[in-house]
Amino acid sequence: MKLRRVSVCMIALASIVITVAMAAEQPKAGGTLIFAVGETPPSFDGHRETTFAMLHPLAPHYSTLLRFDADKYPKIEGDVAESWTVSRDGLTYTFKIRKGVKFHDGSLLTARDVKATYDKIIFPPEGVASARKAYFAMVEKMEAPDESTVVFRLKWPSASFIRQVASPWNFIYKADILAKDPRWYEKNVMGTGPFTFVEYVPGSHWVGKKNPDYFVKGRPYLDGYRAIFIRDTAPRVAAVRAGQALIEFRGFNPAVRDDLVRALGDKIRVQESPWICNMTVAINNEKKPFDDVRVRKALTLAIDRWEGSKALSQISIMKPVGGLMRPGSEFATPEAELTKLAGFGKDPEAARKEARRLLKEAGVPEGFAFTLKNRNVKEPYEAVGVYVIDQWRKVGLNVTHLPQEGGPYFADLRAGNYETSIDFNCDFMDEPDYQLIKFISSDKSPINYARYKDAVLDELYEKQSRATDPKERLKHIRQTEKRVLDEQAYTFHVLWWYRIIPHWARVKGWPITPSHYLNQDLRDVWLAAE
Amino acid sequence: MQRYILKRFLLMIPTLFGVAVLVFLLLRVAPGDVVELKYAGVGAFVSKEAMDQERAQLGLDKPLWRQFMDWMWGIARFDFGTSMWTGRPITYEIAIRLQLSLQLAIMATVVAVLLSIPLGTIAALRQDTWVDYVVRVFSIAGLAMPSFWLGILMILGMLIFFRWLPPMFFTPFWIDPWANLSQLIWPALAVGYRYSAVATRMTRSAVLEVLREDYIRTARAKGLWEKLILTRHALKNAMLPVVTVIGLEFAFLIGGLVVTEQVFNLNGIGMLFVEAITRRDYTMTQALVLLVSFSFIVVNFVMDIVYAWLDPRIRYQ
Repeated sequence: MKLRRVSVCMIALASIVITVAMAAEQPKAGGTLIFAVGETPPSFDGHRETTFAMLHPLAPHYSTLLRFDADKYPKIEGDVAESWTVSRDGLTYTFKIRKGVKFHDGSLLTARDVKATYDKIIFPPEGVASARKAYFAMVEKMEAPDESTVVFRLKWPSASFIRQVASPWNFIYKADILAKDPRWYEKNVMGTGPFTFVEYVPGSHWVGKKNPDYFVKGRPYLDGYRAIFIRDTAPRVAAVRAGQALIEFRGFNPAVRDDLVRALGDKIRVQESPWICNMTVAINNEKKPFDDVRVRKALTLAIDRWEGSKALSQISIMKPVGGLMRPGSEFATPEAELTKLAGFGKDPEAARKEARRLLKEAGVPEGFAFTLKNRNVKEPYEAVGVYVIDQWRKVGLNVTHLPQEGGPYFADLRAGNYETSIDFNCDFMDEPDYQLIKFISSDKSPINYARYKDAVLDELYEKQSRATDPKERLKHIRQTEKRVLDEQAYTFHVLWWYRIIPHWARVKGWPITPSHYLNQDLRDVWLAAE
Repeated sequence: MQRYILKRFLLMIPTLFGVAVLVFLLLRVAPGDVVELKYAGVGAFVSKEAMDQERAQLGLDKPLWRQFMDWMWGIARFDFGTSMWTGRPITYEIAIRLQLSLQLAIMATVVAVLLSIPLGTIAALRQDTWVDYVVRVFSIAGLAMPSFWLGILMILGMLIFFRWLPPMFFTPFWIDPWANLSQLIWPALAVGYRYSAVATRMTRSAVLEVLREDYIRTARAKGLWEKLILTRHALKNAMLPVVTVIGLEFAFLIGGLVVTEQVFNLNGIGMLFVEAITRRDYTMTQALVLLVSFSFIVVNFVMDIVYAWLDPRIRYQ
């Protein structure tokens, strides 16, 4: 009897604890999220801009047609689209638009607005810049047969189309405004997102407040948000440490993470994820002796990426070892296969021996001197540059590190005024159409700084992009990877970035994703009691 | 005097025109442009067509002479154009930052004047005593310590000992004086201290020099009260070089506090300047260079007039 009573008491106590714990994690409405942004937005137009500095303060004002489900990335869900269907031939996508979605001025969003938005992105009128037009080359036309239906007709089946429609950049704009002035959105805000626009003081801060008519019931939880622009890292860290900013969505390096955890203990929560950004060594294939595949292969063989990951991950945001697709993504090459590619093996001594042999065979003398140009950004650029040079020294190469200010750095990359250079790539999603475009022929891709032309790679790119069978697509991706990194060693990744977000534990409902461009509408974010 | 003022005023025009030509050409010589940095800078694929479209939108596809003429025609109408980075009017972008920079410059100058003139004068009056040594050490320390470094120490101290930081964004004084001052007082102290160090040393040496003049000896021989000698005869004459230093420093503070602004996250002209240059925002950089040049010219002009007031022997023809 006594035992029974104790058991009942224990169960009751456990229920109370669980209830309290659950109540503690129940989203709570109210409060203002203050976050730091490391740059200031250029214009306010998501279709034109490419920087997180525009996206972080502005994304909460807008909806997109589809969106990535941050909890289950890379799963896609509807945003203003309620549902969508694809025709059997993969050429027609039909989106049903939610009813009752209102712009912040109270007007209803219809299929006409969605069509006008994508018209601006894909077929921009004269004098209007669209940064993403090239990615929608497969779209032939759009139609809005009724108020709640939008139809995209494609020229060819596309493996990436549906993900592209979930792009966080493709804010849905109001058709009437675009009709009057297609550049209105460069300086103004009018969306259907969870927060309405309050104030922007250039270079200082951006303020948004809760949209009471937001179409997702019960969202957003926050009363509002304030983005503070803090360009320098040290004050940004200080702002988080002092609680003046509760979070910074791009990320900090491991040293900052450790400092914040040491200073604030359990008030800080750390979320980490591999990042869809990487550091690359661009080799100028037009310059001697780098036009020789043996030399290029020796350069990649000389780099011990696995040791580099261990070393650099302690001081910088570099960590995962991977091929052309982000490690951990559905398109990534498994480690067993990856280690067979030149420079990705786990026996650095054997790789270096092979590198020396190739250099000798190519007639490159011991102590051969050349320059590695770099961007004068300490982290991660210069850290990676220093590591790469150290690795090349181990095979008898004498490399000078030349960090440059942004202007000359990009001008030299673009003009081919370099021998080797640190390069980088960053995207909002794991998508071969995005990550592989850098490696097609330089006359087709302006970001192929390695300046080679390769019809085989161009064909492989087209094939993977149009493949409707995922297995077939993966096969083309692997072939591309082998050709770029191993057979021709045109250019190569060193390491992928690793995203570290130490934020105040009070900030809830914001799961980290592999991109600092995603999950920024703040609709599910809430603040726990202090 | 009026003729002199008019002449000086008219001389501003060729000076500013020279500055304009120089900055216009130098910016175009530097590699890279705003479109390159905006799009390539984030490492994503943007087609050449989109970049060319953006260049055309910004007028970068026009010949250089045409770009210069357009700019000059705008300036003649007091229209500085729009920022190539943000697309907003330059006057608006600058006005937002100028109120912070001006307030900080004034506050730092007040700190500097309040510290330097009494300290410099006392040091001169008590030459080679312990008071003089303390003031000299204080001023040499101010010269040796960059203001941004002092700012970093202040921030670290406040963060570690008080778990507090000055506000990270600017609130105008008339909206919330407390928030405004709690942000700006720290950089004003950091900058003002270094500024005062220069002015203290200048005041000390100027007062020392004046105190040895014949007219001071005459005043003393006449039996004038020491305080009167100092304030009416010595200080006023000793102020000439001090005013020069204060004036030039003030002009420098308008656009030169780059690192201090970074340390305290101040949205001032210095930060805007660096951003405009690194982003190759030609129109903004050109306007800022003209603004800073104009500030120096105006400050020099005002100083010349103040000289005449301080020293009646000075006459401008």
